[in-house]
Amino acid sequence: MNERQSPSDMPWRNGSEPFVRIVDVSRSFGPVVAVNNVSLDIYKGELFCLLGSSGCGKTTLLRMLAGLETVSSGRIEIDGQDMAGISPWDRPTNIMFQSYALFPHMNVERNIAYGLYRDGIPRSEVTDRVADMIKLVQLSGMERRKPDQLSGGQRQRVALARSLIKRPKLLLLDEPLAALDKKLREETQFELVNIQEKLGVTFVVVTHDQEEAMTLATRIGVMRNGVIEQVAEPREIYEYPLNRFVADFIGSVNMFEGVVAETDPDRTLIRCEDADMTINVSHGVSCSPSQRLWFALRPEKPEISRHRPDGVDNVVEGVVEEIAYRGNLSIFRVRLKTGKQIDLIRTNQERSAQEPITWDDPVFVSWDAASGVVLTS
Amino acid sequence: MTAAVGSFFLKHRRLLVIAVPMVWLLIFFLAPFLVVFKISFSEAAMARPPYLPLTSWEDGRLLITLNLGNYQFLLEDPLYLLSLISSVQIAAVSTIFALLIGYPMAWYIARSPARRRNILLMLVILPFWTSFLLRVYAWIGILRSTGVINNTLIAMGIIDEPLVMLQTNFAVYIGIVYTYLPFMILPLYANLSRLDPALLEAAADLGAKPATTFLTVILPMSLPGIIAGSMLVFIPAIGEFVIPALLGGPDTLMIGKILWTEFFNNRDWPVASAVAMVLLAIIVLPLVRFRRARG
Amino acid sequence: MKRSPLLSIMALIGFIFLYAPILSLVVYSFNESRLVTVWSGFSTKWYGELLRDPQILGAAWISLKVAVASATISLVLGTMASLALVRYGRFRFRELFSGMTTAPLVMPDVITGISLLLLFVTMESLFGWPAGRGLLTIIIAHTTFCMAYVAVVVETRLINVDRSVEEAAADLGAKPLRIFFDVTLPSIAPALVSGWLLAFTLSLDDLVIASFVAGPGSTTLPMLIFSKVRLGVSPDVNALATILIGLVAIGIAISAFVMTRNGRSSESGA
Repeated sequence: MNERQSPSDMPWRNGSEPFVRIVDVSRSFGPVVAVNNVSLDIYKGELFCLLGSSGCGKTTLLRMLAGLETVSSGRIEIDGQDMAGISPWDRPTNIMFQSYALFPHMNVERNIAYGLYRDGIPRSEVTDRVADMIKLVQLSGMERRKPDQLSGGQRQRVALARSLIKRPKLLLLDEPLAALDKKLREETQFELVNIQEKLGVTFVVVTHDQEEAMTLATRIGVMRNGVIEQVAEPREIYEYPLNRFVADFIGSVNMFEGVVAETDPDRTLIRCEDADMTINVSHGVSCSPSQRLWFALRPEKPEISRHRPDGVDNVVEGVVEEIAYRGNLSIFRVRLKTGKQIDLIRTNQERSAQEPITWDDPVFVSWDAASGVVLTS
Repeated sequence: MTAAVGSFFLKHRRLLVIAVPMVWLLIFFLAPFLVVFKISFSEAAMARPPYLPLTSWEDGRLLITLNLGNYQFLLEDPLYLLSLISSVQIAAVSTIFALLIGYPMAWYIARSPARRRNILLMLVILPFWTSFLLRVYAWIGILRSTGVINNTLIAMGIIDEPLVMLQTNFAVYIGIVYTYLPFMILPLYANLSRLDPALLEAAADLGAKPATTFLTVILPMSLPGIIAGSMLVFIPAIGEFVIPALLGGPDTLMIGKILWTEFFNNRDWPVASAVAMVLLAIIVLPLVRFRRARG
Repeated sequence: MKRSPLLSIMALIGFIFLYAPILSLVVYSFNESRLVTVWSGFSTKWYGELLRDPQILGAAWISLKVAVASATISLVLGTMASLALVRYGRFRFRELFSGMTTAPLVMPDVITGISLLLLFVTMESLFGWPAGRGLLTIIIAHTTFCMAYVAVVVETRLINVDRSVEEAAADLGAKPLRIFFDVTLPSIAPALVSGWLLAFTLSLDDLVIASFVAGPGSTTLPMLIFSKVRLGVSPDVNALATILIGLVAIGIAISAFVMTRNGRSSESGA
């Protein structure tokens, strides 16, 4: 998504007014704090993903936006209107449930039309709008079917249509693709993005699937234990995670623990005992002298070679311990002399290499000073 | 007007939904026990209603007469103690027989193919929908001296004289087992149908013969079902009236029948109330345990 | 796991035990002889006699009125009780409330009967209501024990209702009362039907409680049957039993037909 827009188009970069304002919101269930003092701005037309593992509070946050859960403290504003005390049936939001929650005793048409009738919209207009919506989600011919006569994918589209038909200012989607199988999920991801762009509705999607979040989102908010750890665009979250949790949660990462040996504005040296090396980083780090910190290196960044490469900032020696062949790529696990393992990914561009690196080969792993990220927490 | 009613309902919806059945139950379920408790301490009299009030007003003094005589009477006359013991015994024996008959049936249904299972379950529940009174009545025709069983046995030349079955405790056992059997089968079935067949295969694979599998796996795992089913038979059977009245003899002592006789034949409401309190005390104990077991 | 033949035989004996008495009732209702169990030829004369007996018809009419009224009231009260128990979490006296809704299930009829009668007598002497005993007192008594059955049946269904379906209705603009009628009620409808039928059957079947709280002129069908049966077997009771069994069988057949048809229509689409 973010690839298709120029930076100045992105409202979170150019200082626009946020559309949804979540200010210091908390929610506890008895002694359990599900959402802990979360503040978050979401902008008009965004497809915002709340990403986290189960129990992190992302669904509770979504349900508070819908008004299905009360806010213990804090404030939620949608389009400038304070949502405090406003019942779910009066909110300008609609939600798509993880279970879809289709009315089992109503057919597809009546399920989709339900929200319009609640607004007292005349029958003729309802009929037209439902027909348009059924076309949009490609359910033509299914109008008279009951939910239990539909496939999982069709049910998902009915749920989407039903939540879109009232043209909500904000559409909330709770794990919208989780119940679909892998193939269908990938197709539907793009469909969802297309529909969102066509209608221009602001989406907030809750998901536990980082790939899904990466594909869909304009921005991602990573949640853990009721707290938002980082909010950023997908690329930024992947390349510049704020802390070890985010680095580890999104994709895989090699983590080096060490202490600052030396730092100035464009260079930092980190002494890393468990790899028995000094890691060279191409930027300064604001920290106290000899502070403990972490160096995170994505597996696709380093090179692997039989011979020591020249002129590379970081080189370390090891032995190939494992190779996992995945078709399009291979994952190498290299054991260093200290016992530490480094994983790295090579794409298999050639069908058969001349002299492929194989098990137990002594190798050199090397990377550029700009390819990793330093984390202080 | 209707809008006002509507908004009142909206505001107090929760209160109304709880309060209406609550008040009904307080008046018509809980209060009656207090009344029975009170009357069990009064004295029988030739009056309408046939008992004396507990309180009276004499010379400016409020007199409260607590007549413990009814309970004393229950203790002194061995009839009541015997009928109490006999009730528990009859209920217990019937429960055991219901378990012995119901368990294989529940197991059979639980192990049937899914399509047939619903039909079999329906067959278990079906008799429950036909009149209980008439089903007990049917046994009179079967068990009496000129009944189906005796006629058949005599015609086959197996016996010369009809067997005396009606008006015996045997007939009461049959009646109780027969009417309460569905209450035994249903909880057993609910329990047994949840038992993963892979467990039985695992036991067999590890060297257990069918009998051992039954004793070491199935039986222990179905214990909650056995307890639930037994309670559902045992508790109502203790206070049963219709079955001993129709199938039992004059020497069939059951507390429900005693209560009925005291009330309708002897018109001694205070003693009948005292009997009811004693019966209630016997019921409450297993009931509380049952509720706790269900959690 | 294969079922052993022994198990099948035991189950078969069990089912015979359940159905033989019912079958014998039906068979001997067509017996010519007054001696019920001595077969002397096929006849339907007891049915004729039954339908000409004003006493039986009157009692049946009373029982029917009582059963419809108490099944309907107990459906409303029992559904409210189950809603309170399933939906309203903790409230004051919840333990007492749930105890009172389940206790009538196992309460011996003699206790329920005597305690309600004594309550009615006491209330009458204190407030003058209910004046005397009759239909009203039977209906109150039957409602009280039937609502426990309704509550259990509806509760079981209500627990399995997907809350998010109701939340979806709220999200789409339906207010609580609307949600109840649009979503909750249709999802528990089968339980309401079976709860009502169960209450109806229990009321129609009750002898003991009605005997305590009935007054002169409100003799129900079971009370009449009991007084007849006490004097010995009587062939018109067999005929009556057969008619009742027939009605139940027809009811079951209809519901089975409706159920399989619904099942088939939803299968055909999938």
